[in-house]
Amino acid sequence: MSVPARLAMSLLVALGASGTLPASAFAAAADPLASARWEEMRRGVLGGTAAVFDAQVKVLAPANAENPTQVPVTVDATALADVAEVVVFADFNPIVEVLRFYPESAAALLGFRVKLQQSTPLRAAARGADGVWHVGGSWVNTVGGGCTAPSAAAASTAWQSRLNEVSGRQWQLGAERVRLRLRVVHPMDTGLVAGTPSFHLDDVELRGASGERLMRLRLFEPVAENPVFTIEYRAPGQTLVCTGGDNNGNRFSARIAP
Amino acid sequence: MQSIRLTLRPSLLAALLATTFCMPAMASKPVSWDDILNDDKTTGDVLSYGLGLKAQRYSPLSKVNTRNVDALVPAWSFSFGGEKQRGQEAQALVHDGVIYVTASYSRIFAIDARSGKRLWEYEARLPDDIRPCCDVVNRGAAIYGDKLYFGTLDAAIVALNKDTGKVVWRKKFGDHKVGYTMTGAPFIIKDQQSGRVLLVHGSSGDEFGVVGWLFARDPDTGEEVWARPMVEGHVGRLNGKESTPTGDKDAPSWPRDKDGNLVDAWNHGGGAPWQTASFDSEKNTIVIGAGNPAPWNTWHRTKEGDDPRNWDSLFTSGQAYVDASTGELKGFFQHTPNDAWDFSGNNSIVLFEYKDAQTGKQVKASAHADRNGFFFVTDRDKLSSGAGYPNKPTALIGAWPFVEGITWASGFDLKTGRPIEKNNRPQLPQDGAEKGDSIFVSPPFLGGTNWMPMSYSQQTGLFYIPANHWAMDYWTEKLTYKAGSAYLGQGFRIKRLFDDHVGTLRAIDPKTGKIVWQHKEKFPLWAGTMTTAGGLLFTGTSDGFVKAFDAKNGKELWKFQTGSGVVSVPITWEMDGEQYIGIQSGYGGAVPLWGGDMADLTKQVTQGGSMWVFKLARSARK
Repeated sequence: MSVPARLAMSLLVALGASGTLPASAFAAAADPLASARWEEMRRGVLGGTAAVFDAQVKVLAPANAENPTQVPVTVDATALADVAEVVVFADFNPIVEVLRFYPESAAALLGFRVKLQQSTPLRAAARGADGVWHVGGSWVNTVGGGCTAPSAAAASTAWQSRLNEVSGRQWQLGAERVRLRLRVVHPMDTGLVAGTPSFHLDDVELRGASGERLMRLRLFEPVAENPVFTIEYRAPGQTLVCTGGDNNGNRFSARIAP
Repeated sequence: MQSIRLTLRPSLLAALLATTFCMPAMASKPVSWDDILNDDKTTGDVLSYGLGLKAQRYSPLSKVNTRNVDALVPAWSFSFGGEKQRGQEAQALVHDGVIYVTASYSRIFAIDARSGKRLWEYEARLPDDIRPCCDVVNRGAAIYGDKLYFGTLDAAIVALNKDTGKVVWRKKFGDHKVGYTMTGAPFIIKDQQSGRVLLVHGSSGDEFGVVGWLFARDPDTGEEVWARPMVEGHVGRLNGKESTPTGDKDAPSWPRDKDGNLVDAWNHGGGAPWQTASFDSEKNTIVIGAGNPAPWNTWHRTKEGDDPRNWDSLFTSGQAYVDASTGELKGFFQHTPNDAWDFSGNNSIVLFEYKDAQTGKQVKASAHADRNGFFFVTDRDKLSSGAGYPNKPTALIGAWPFVEGITWASGFDLKTGRPIEKNNRPQLPQDGAEKGDSIFVSPPFLGGTNWMPMSYSQQTGLFYIPANHWAMDYWTEKLTYKAGSAYLGQGFRIKRLFDDHVGTLRAIDPKTGKIVWQHKEKFPLWAGTMTTAGGLLFTGTSDGFVKAFDAKNGKELWKFQTGSGVVSVPITWEMDGEQYIGIQSGYGGAVPLWGGDMADLTKQVTQGGSMWVFKLARSARK
């Protein structure tokens, strides 16, 4: 059986379980963040499949965020084995999904900044080898409006000449690990500001010198303007290639020296 | 409503749920080249700008006809929404039960043709420094395979998946900061030599002094196959390499300065093919109008001390015949040599055939109603033969005025194919003066007609021109080129020609040039026309009506008020055994921006932005 077919099968089984047993073990577990929307998140973002709350998935974010348009977050699922996909979402954002990342040879860890519309649980669900979503999260208190305030780009024309400009730097952490920081110039407009359509980076991927993929990301509107990412991987000394594009079809490709 | 209790087995429920979650967006059929080639004959779809490769805008549908058209009622209306209610000038496409329509500010919508339900929308994020001269309009999309194509105001062309609206590729073809933009609908053709399907589109920006280009791309990837500049002596590209100069490499139709260099205007020469092409598949020839020369000021394109009539400013303000394989300019007929009035040559060029009354032979011809007030019939075979120098004034078969009060020329000399001018060029400023003396010009630069496409009825053999009667005061101004600024060298003020009307819808016989009927409108006409085998002519008016006329005699048979001005292009198609008519409402375009005295009229029109679809009321269906 092909991989997608197997995935579909497991989805079907899980759906079968949730369809026939509305009070399934997964749903019954109390949400540690006590969010009124958890059940909707489970059904919507996680597709109703098997999910467990798991403290091994860490969402490091400030308890009180002063600036709702740039809330720094680190998602760390490195304690789990074989993480295939991590989805980050905010229960009370008008656009719930923030991003998804697929750590291939990189660590299951991602630092970035997010726009929050109001105080909300900020969660990461990591799907590991067992096919189950492991959900971690934390509450972030913030003032309102992060998703409906015009981007800083709206007040300046600088983004037009610098769109998709990439800057990056690598640091060696000990003998084997490397930390990469990456910044892409992009307004990341949510489409929720009158007169400005949704305009956001869509897909970004990083490859090593041999062409092997380190990580793939799918980004949505709530990722903060001029996104900054922190990624960790092994095998230092490589020139990385970062490629990506936005929902308007503007593509970029950049090389980041070791 | 009574509730029905369904007992589903768990496994079935699971399967149903899985279907809901896992199904990709509903995919409609891909569009083949044969579908496009036969677009003028097939009634179930509208796959090309012009309702067919010849751009005749004639539908063989006759379910709605002169006898029952008064029973047309709205089937649905769809709002484009947003706060961006500006001119809606598009012609929609219909394929497999889905309408694809572009809207102001580089937006495109997919709408369910039966219900009017929104399927998806895409809105380009535009930079702030775009430079459209004449409103933020878009005139439509092209469709081929599983993709839709449309141009954006920041001088790019975008391909989207027709089922999801996701961008597949985007190609920027010019610098929007110096004035390149795109408002016209792209067009799909097939190079008959290589068998390769190509996406053909032009550029806009003549008012900012950029050289107009025509492009052919691979529809799958957007990669350029060839590109053709319209200013004589500029060099084209083919397969990524320099190809040939357009016309003569020395550009003899442009003057040189005292040092023997081509004048500065040549660097900015205009000629943008900003409207949509038609395609002669037998001759493998793309037929498209070339825009006005830049600047408007005739003296910047004339050798100092000489007569402007000796300097044609090729290949601007005329009709161009371009080889589909190579992008070579095979033929050209200039409607306005050394155009001093921004007449341009862009308006639709309709391919048609007729029987010559004297010889009895069938003539393959092109028809064009120019802003300069003349209706042209040209010899398409001669212009697409590809022999010799492209400029072929003697390809002219006939040129007749289709509006009254033309000031710049009394007619055309059919032997030479050149206009008989009436000394109506704006003169240089007198010594010490900033501006030249004002002259009276009719039609003005807004044209006897403009971009809004005319149509041809295979039933009546007549062309239907959405024309206007107006004029302008016009004077020469001093000018130097500054990147990104208007490059005109002319001042103007649009004014009335008649008290009782501006718009004049006209039916003209292409064999005799006779105006068979006319219909006056108080407001300027700025919507395209369409004819049907039901004996009807459809168009819209700036004061908000969609109207149907008897194509034979111009009798107004039906009208419907859409709530804002109609400046778009109607379509018709058949679905589930019924005939539908579609058009967009939403006022804007060049007239409210540049219309001068027309402001008294245009300020009365409220903004809007919606698609309207009509069909016969149930009682009237047979």
